[in-house]
Amino acid sequence: MNGFLIFLQSIRWQDIVDITLNSYILFRCYVIFRITNAFRILIGLAFLWIFQRIAVAIGLIVTSWVIQGITAVAALIIIVVFRNEIRSVLQVKNIKMLFWGFPQQPFHTPIQIIAESVMDLSRKRIGALIVFPGREDITEKIQNGILWDGAISKEMITSIFWEDNPVHDGAVIVEGDRIREVGVILPLSHRHELPSHYGTRHRAAMGLAESTDSLVVVVSEERGTIQVVKGATITPIFKKDDLERQLEQHLGLMVKDQTIRKKERREICIAAVVSVILITSIWLSITRGLDSLVTFEIPIEYMNRNPGMEIMDASVSSIKIQLGGSGPLMRTVRPDHVRVKIDLGKSVVGQNIYTITHENISLPPGIVIKSFEPSVVDVSLDVLDKKDMPVQVDWTGKLPENLRMEKVKIDPNTVQIIGGRQILKNITTAYTEKIPLESIQTSRTIIVNLALSPASLKVAPGFKDKITVDCTVRAIPKNGQ
Amino acid sequence: MVYFQKWMMTLGSAGLLFCLGAFCDKDGLNTAAAADQLALTSAVMCEDVQERQPVNEGVVFSIGIGRICCYTLFDVVPDKTYITHNWYNRDNLSTKIKLPLHAPRWTTYSAIQLRESDKGPWRVEITDSEGRILQVLRFSVTE
Repeated sequence: MNGFLIFLQSIRWQDIVDITLNSYILFRCYVIFRITNAFRILIGLAFLWIFQRIAVAIGLIVTSWVIQGITAVAALIIIVVFRNEIRSVLQVKNIKMLFWGFPQQPFHTPIQIIAESVMDLSRKRIGALIVFPGREDITEKIQNGILWDGAISKEMITSIFWEDNPVHDGAVIVEGDRIREVGVILPLSHRHELPSHYGTRHRAAMGLAESTDSLVVVVSEERGTIQVVKGATITPIFKKDDLERQLEQHLGLMVKDQTIRKKERREICIAAVVSVILITSIWLSITRGLDSLVTFEIPIEYMNRNPGMEIMDASVSSIKIQLGGSGPLMRTVRPDHVRVKIDLGKSVVGQNIYTITHENISLPPGIVIKSFEPSVVDVSLDVLDKKDMPVQVDWTGKLPENLRMEKVKIDPNTVQIIGGRQILKNITTAYTEKIPLESIQTSRTIIVNLALSPASLKVAPGFKDKITVDCTVRAIPKNGQ
Repeated sequence: MVYFQKWMMTLGSAGLLFCLGAFCDKDGLNTAAAADQLALTSAVMCEDVQERQPVNEGVVFSIGIGRICCYTLFDVVPDKTYITHNWYNRDNLSTKIKLPLHAPRWTTYSAIQLRESDKGPWRVEITDSEGRILQVLRFSVTE
C-alpha cells in the first residue's frame, strides 16, 4: 500500500498527458481503421509482436527471430497490399475526421430513387451496372470512365442506360448523391463456376466486387433480373425493399436498431478502455521497468556557497551512481542528465561533512537510483586571504662535482599569494618548480614558475608568477677549498 | 686585545643535531662600540667551521657531505644572551638549537647531520632571545 502511494506520488502531470495523448492516438487509429481489412491484419501483427516478446522473455531465441522476421515482412506486405485502403482512409476530405468524430458518408445517397430506377430498368429489360464504392479507392481498378458529376434522378439513370446512349454499356459510379462517372469499364471476374447465362455485365460486376469493397447492382438486359454483388456474394433482388436494405447496409445508412447501436457503442467504449490500458502498460514498461542498470561517475555541484569562502578541499569530487530503469529509457540517459548537488548555504569555515541522500541527486523521469558511493562528502571551506611570502628555489639533482653554488639571487624575492586563510597560515614560503642542477655548468639566469601547493593557491594579481633566478657558481679548487 | 675562546658541544634532541659550537671572539675594537643592541654581522651556511671561520659557504649542499652548518657572527653582544637557530625542511620545523652569546663579540654555529630524507629546500631562521627573526638563510640539500 505504501509502495502504491509512493508510485502515485511519483506520477507527474506530464505522465498523465503522455498516457492520455497516446491512448487517444491509438483509439483514433482504431476508429479510423476498424472497418477496413487492414485493421484485422494490424491486430494480427500486434499479436505477432506480443508472441515475439514472450518468446524473447522465455528465451526462445530462434522462435523470436522467426516471429520478428515474419512481423517485419508482414508489415511491409500490409503497406503494399492495403495501400489503396490505407490511402482512402487517410485521404479524407475533412481533416477533422482524423481527430474527431466517426467515419460516415458525407452525403446521403437517394436510395429510394435508385431502387425505383433499378426496378423500372428491370421491368423495361434495360441492362444496367451501378457501382457504389465502399471505403476502398477503386480508381486503379476501373478505366475509361467519363466524368459526369450529375445529380441522381430516375430519368437520369434511365437515360444513361438507354439503349441508344453511347455509354449505356458501361457502369456508372455513384458517390453520395451524385453520379460521378458513366461508361466505366470494370475488371472482369475470372471465376469459372459462374452460371452460363451470366454475361459480361455480370462478370464485370463480380470482377470489381471481388477486388474491392464496392457494391455493384446489375440489371440483366435479357432476363430483367436484378442482382447485388458484394465481395464474392451474389444476391438476387426481387423486391424494391430488399434492394433498399442492401444499399442502406452498404452505405451505412441503414436505420440501426437499438441492439446494434448499443453493441457498436460498447465496442467503441471497450476500444477506448483497451487503448488506455495498452498505452499505460507500455508507459509503465518503459518508464518503470528496471531491466537495465548503468553506472555513472557524476561530478558534485556545490550550490549557495558564501562568496567570501572558497572550497579548499573535498574528500571526493564525484559520486559513483548506479541507476536502474527500462532498457529503452536507459539508452537515452547521458551523464549530464544526472546531477549531484550539495547545498553549502549553511557551511562554515573549516571542515563540513555532508551526507548524500536521494534529495541531492536529480534524475530524468523514469530512472531510479540503485546505489551510490560514497555517501559522505567532507568539504573544507576557507575564507580567502592574501599573504606575502618569500620565494625559494627548489633545486634538485646533483651539481657537477667541480662546482659549488655560492649565491642565488631571486627576482622577485617576495610574492603575494591568495588562498584560504587556514592554508596560508601553515605556509611561509613560495617554492619554485624544481630546477635540475645537472644543467648548471656556469653562472647563469634561469626563469621558472612557482609551484604552489595546494592548487587552490594563486599568485595575487600584479605579482609576477615567473621567477628569475640568477645563480653564481664557482669552480672548486682541487684541494676542495 | 684579549682573546677568549670557548668550545661547546651539545647533541640535538632528535639526533638530527650533530654538533653546535660557540666561539667567544672578544674584540677590543668592538668593545668600545658595544651598544645596547645585539648585532648580527655575518650568517652563512657552510660545510664546516674551522678556526672560527666558515668552510665552503654555499646555498646548495650535497647530501654526501654528511653534515651542514649554520655559522653566525655577532659583532655586538651587549650582554650575555642567547639566540636560536630554527631549522626548517620546507615549512616543517626540523629542529631548534639554542646557542648562548657572550659579550662583547661572539661567534657560534649549529650543525645538523644530513639524512637521505633531508633532500629539498631548507631555511634557518636566526632569532634572538625574544623570538625576533634576525635573519633567514635559505639553501637546498640535494643528491
